[in-house]
Amino acid sequence: MATHTPRRHGGVFDVLQEWITTVDHKKIGLMYIGYALIFLVVAGAEALLMRVQLAVPNNHFVSPQTFNRLFTMHGTTMVFFVGMPILFGFGNYLIPLMIGARDMAFPRLNAFSFWISAFGGFLLYFSYLAGSGLYGAGTAPDVGWFAYAPLTSRVFSPGHSTDYWTLSVLLSGVGSIGTALNIVATALTMRCRGMKLSRMPLLVWLYVVTSCIAFIAVSPLTAAQIMLVIDRYLGGHFFDTQAGGSAVLWMHFFWIFGHPEVYILVLPAFAFANEIIPVFSRKAIFGYPAMVAATVAIGFISMGVWAHHMFTVGLGPEANAFFTFSTMVIAVPTGIKIFNWLATMWGGSIRFATPMIFSIGFLFQFLIAGLTGVMLAASPFDWQLGNSYFVVAHFHYVLVGAILFMIFAAFYFWYPKITGRMMSETLGKWHFWLFVIGFHMTFDFMHVPGLLGMPRRIYTYEADRGWGGWNMIVSIGAIFQTAATLIFVYNLIRSYYKGEEAGPDPWDAWTLEWSTSSPPPSYNFAEIPTVHSRRPLWDLKHPDDPDTNYE
Amino acid sequence: MSTAVAVSHSTEDDWKQPSRGMVGMACLIAAESAIFIIFVIAYIFYTGKSLTGPTPREVLDLPIFSTVCLLSSSITVHFAVHQLRAGKIGQCSAWLAGTVLLGGIFIGSTAKEWYELIYHHGLTIRTNLFGTTFYSLVGLHASHVIAGLIMLSLALIFSLQGKVNAHHAERLEVLSVYWHFVDAVWVVVFTVVYVLGR
Amino acid sequence: MRYAMEHKSEAGHEAVHMPEPTAWPMVLALGIALILTGMVTNVAVSALGLILTVAASYKWFRAVLPEEAHEMVPVRVDAIVPASSRKSIEKLPVNPIHRKMVPVETFRFTTGLKGGIAGGIAMIVPATLFSVLKFHSLWYAMNLMAAGGFVSWAHESNAFLAQFHMEGLLAALAIHAVTSLLVGSLYGAMLPMFPRWPILTAGFLAPLLWTGLLASALNVVSPILNERIDWFWFIPSQIAFGLVAGFVVNLQARVRTRQFQALPFALRAGIHGGLREQDEQDSGKDGQQ
Repeated sequence: MATHTPRRHGGVFDVLQEWITTVDHKKIGLMYIGYALIFLVVAGAEALLMRVQLAVPNNHFVSPQTFNRLFTMHGTTMVFFVGMPILFGFGNYLIPLMIGARDMAFPRLNAFSFWISAFGGFLLYFSYLAGSGLYGAGTAPDVGWFAYAPLTSRVFSPGHSTDYWTLSVLLSGVGSIGTALNIVATALTMRCRGMKLSRMPLLVWLYVVTSCIAFIAVSPLTAAQIMLVIDRYLGGHFFDTQAGGSAVLWMHFFWIFGHPEVYILVLPAFAFANEIIPVFSRKAIFGYPAMVAATVAIGFISMGVWAHHMFTVGLGPEANAFFTFSTMVIAVPTGIKIFNWLATMWGGSIRFATPMIFSIGFLFQFLIAGLTGVMLAASPFDWQLGNSYFVVAHFHYVLVGAILFMIFAAFYFWYPKITGRMMSETLGKWHFWLFVIGFHMTFDFMHVPGLLGMPRRIYTYEADRGWGGWNMIVSIGAIFQTAATLIFVYNLIRSYYKGEEAGPDPWDAWTLEWSTSSPPPSYNFAEIPTVHSRRPLWDLKHPDDPDTNYE
Repeated sequence: MSTAVAVSHSTEDDWKQPSRGMVGMACLIAAESAIFIIFVIAYIFYTGKSLTGPTPREVLDLPIFSTVCLLSSSITVHFAVHQLRAGKIGQCSAWLAGTVLLGGIFIGSTAKEWYELIYHHGLTIRTNLFGTTFYSLVGLHASHVIAGLIMLSLALIFSLQGKVNAHHAERLEVLSVYWHFVDAVWVVVFTVVYVLGR
Repeated sequence: MRYAMEHKSEAGHEAVHMPEPTAWPMVLALGIALILTGMVTNVAVSALGLILTVAASYKWFRAVLPEEAHEMVPVRVDAIVPASSRKSIEKLPVNPIHRKMVPVETFRFTTGLKGGIAGGIAMIVPATLFSVLKFHSLWYAMNLMAAGGFVSWAHESNAFLAQFHMEGLLAALAIHAVTSLLVGSLYGAMLPMFPRWPILTAGFLAPLLWTGLLASALNVVSPILNERIDWFWFIPSQIAFGLVAGFVVNLQARVRTRQFQALPFALRAGIHGGLREQDEQDSGKDGQQ
């Protein structure tokens, strides 16, 4: 079986074959990132269409039916086919490099997980082509990204548009669980000599916790989707209120997945911050054990907060009190993390390179998002603002202001490792400032129409409501964000050909991935390293003052 | 899961990490448990809420014999691993064959139970909430039993062909952990469906 | 591990075992996706998917059993020596306290809990004072707090609240203890950041935490308390809590953080006065050698 065939680099088919058959964690990671970027552009375009529609009152840019499809596809795509894959992509690429391994624990399963979630994404968008062509009943799914029952029953959504949603989310769920399993197994069993759990880079720790949340959170979604399939195909009654089924049960099942999902998405963003902030502050991370403990605490508490998405359902005083409190308690470990990042920066000699300024933007915006989150956690406040644009503004503050900002930071930080070339700092600064302006125009001002009573998911509104001006500002912000993202994409492509040579360690960083060449060879390390502290490269660079003396 | 890995290293020379297959199986079990918990919750939530008959009390009988078969197959698979580790391939094959047989009996009696429910009692997945939740929960478990049986049969075929040696004991152990999990789920399903739910 | 260690001795790293590329995982994923796609298009698609699934499972199985397929990848040995060679940024002078973890000394986490307990006991005094002076009853404040635990008490009169109720005493004790411990532990978590004047920071922080926790949740948890809360008395009770908690904290021993070990020996031994100035700048606490 051991073949000596050298890699051919020739025709398109050879390249295609190389990528389709690969089990290399780096190539799989890149495929994850690439496919997430494609869907990011698609779902971003959907958001832009919605903002054009809402910019002025009584607009008829898109039809109400199209608008329903747009927000459903935007939400589903962004969560399942952008957020999860891009974060899993970075995890796939970085984790073996950071723990000194040559590949993931299960390389073939890794490829399988990637392909099955990729096919899930294709299936979702195939609905635009096939949904009406074969059955003439609706095209893309239009039931909202949380697809509340009984809207999803055969009576209310005939044809197959809802089935496309269910099945593609089911496929993506299988892939997510496979990759999460792989990440945990890799981190626990593939570490190089000397890499104890207490020395593992924080990024790896956070990915392990994320993956454990994924087991407990994504599986209920899979179960709920199976039930929905049984209802729709076999005539079951799980969510069929006519036969005694419960629509609220779907809500519970969905949010048991839905809220931990926020943490599945945000913990990798924290993970990037944990690696980037120390390097650009020139200090070791403050409070490593506290960071790990806070992450584990978030993982546990995140399982007990789901029903705060359901205050408006009417859960009764006891449940309201419980979920209000648990939601506020989760602010404590999150706060510890923010303090630790600030303490890491405090007294350091901070270098304001592009990854760092994105991280600083993340810190500020995440703080604000946390504050509006605590506001919404108070159930009376939520009764007033539930399902309004205030909620939309709040969670976009987390998803864009925190997660997307850290994803951008991660791109600028690890691009030199992945390609061997630096990204342009000038374009990076343009990207940052344009995006910050656009972000704040859109999502700061989006809180206001929410407070004024504008409900989410309406396709237009009357002119006399006083929402017009605010919506116009929000939509103009979206244009700024689009421009900034285009600069980013241009920077990605341009730097690949014309970027400055990076060398193995352009940022003078301390984790193992910077000890191999850029881009790393397929086997990562010619010789498996041995580590003696949390910052192995610091030890090598400063043999006179190694970290080992302090841990 | 991380509790299983609390290995303390006195020196960095004795560098041992948990088994890859075991950690992977533990993760799979965690994820599968979550799926089963959701189905069990749905079953409990809908107990007694069916608008029409038949009710569980009318149609369900305690499947004592098949339960005994399934639970004892946990013991036989344990012995199969034990013998393989000791290098006794022949005995391992025998225990594996026993396991497959016991699991087969379980699936057979489930099939018989379903046949009677459908054709004699008129209970299908469409009939009422009991039918929906019963067939999906028991069916989900049965599908896991079938998957386990397929893998065990493959292991049996390999061991009869003589392609298995003590080197493979760890892989068979991983498979046996899965089989124990399937048995443990049956204990829960049995309690919920046949004892409490009646 | 399994790739690396086994072949380390083999002819000086000329090649390493890597898993062999294979298309079967992709085909299996495609097969499963096609089975599901058939459910929304045509059964024929599902049939094709099933064929692919079975074939790919078989092939995948053959690739890992009985032995995993590997390929040899030649290794290019040019050792990269990690060095602090800045390419894109200028080299910064090495900071003597590079591993700075401000502050040098702080309190244990449990200190906050002790403070919380002491403050919780102290808080009873102004609360009882309030209920005696305003409602001429020892039990009013206690019952008011307990009302949060009993939904049925939400519409009771002031006279009812002024009487003694056993379950009221127990519930109030439990609620008060839990909240005091929560505030104490939150304060304990913040202590390392402001270890300088515990009495002052506690006197300021504790009311902030109490009010923050209660004001946000009060309306839901305890409408009755929300209705009748007397902020004029409530705030002084909180300050009493904070001052006593801070006083208790101040009595506790300080512990040295790891930052202390990282200091040069002369500073650690306290010979130099440098620690004080350095720490002043970095805003730790004042070195009390």
